[in-house]
Amino acid sequence: MTQVARTAPGKPRRLDAFTLASEPGNERLALERVAGTVKDLGLPEARLERLKTAVAEATMNAIEHGNGNRAEIPVEVEVTLDGDDIIIAISDQGGEAHAAAQNAGDPEEPDLLKKLDGAQTPRGWGLFLIRNMVDAMNVTTDGQRHTIWLTMRTGGAAHAEHV
Amino acid sequence: MPNMCEATTRIVPGAAVIELSGDVDGSAAAILTSAYDRAVNAHDGPEPIGTVVLDFAAVDYINSTGIALIVSVLARARAERRKVVASGLSAHYREIFDITRLSDFIELFPDLDHAVSQLASHAAQA
Repeated sequence: MTQVARTAPGKPRRLDAFTLASEPGNERLALERVAGTVKDLGLPEARLERLKTAVAEATMNAIEHGNGNRAEIPVEVEVTLDGDDIIIAISDQGGEAHAAAQNAGDPEEPDLLKKLDGAQTPRGWGLFLIRNMVDAMNVTTDGQRHTIWLTMRTGGAAHAEHV
Repeated sequence: MPNMCEATTRIVPGAAVIELSGDVDGSAAAILTSAYDRAVNAHDGPEPIGTVVLDFAAVDYINSTGIALIVSVLARARAERRKVVASGLSAHYREIFDITRLSDFIELFPDLDHAVSQLASHAAQA
């Protein structure tokens, strides 16, 4: 039986931290490295696949919308184990860009029928997928730095909390 | 590491098949569009292609941009009164097809053999 990893409550342990150039396709590097970092923490296969998709989509958002595909601005990724929670923090330097997008109004929830009828663009699935893949998603932004926090519990079923 | 998307097409009784491999992401746009064009236009039989099979058995990765490409293919097929079915999706990507509701519009088969045999059976009965 797989042993589920955990740390003492309130004593998070950083498992990995790395940066990526903001170039299209580099989200694959993030998902593969995170998958390697958490592979022995007892996540069932289906939940590991969900986490990989969430990491890839959050990294894509950071590369494209946060850092504007400018390779010289890194995306920072940090993996922490806090109690039973795997927490992935993915940061870009596009706080202003994200704030401007938010001020322009929240993007409409993707609706496949509307997309098929041309009433919505075919794109716009990224945040929707992230929210549905992890147990919790939070976002913090200051003037410049924008971070998306993904939480996946090492045991038990998904109980989504989205802030 | 990223694997460039590739697509091959062939005609089977009752359908055109697009066999995809590699990554279905933004870089796959032209490949998928071109494959769809080849698939529906290569046929010279008396009836137009009514069903397009997307086979994902050799696909490693689909991201949100890839989902958008599949939505575009489905929208075009619906406008042309064609049906789209899919085969070979992993359990994870079947879940994503369910979450996005793509599976409400695209019938899913476990593998290409199941899809082809069922479509051939329907074609023979027509």
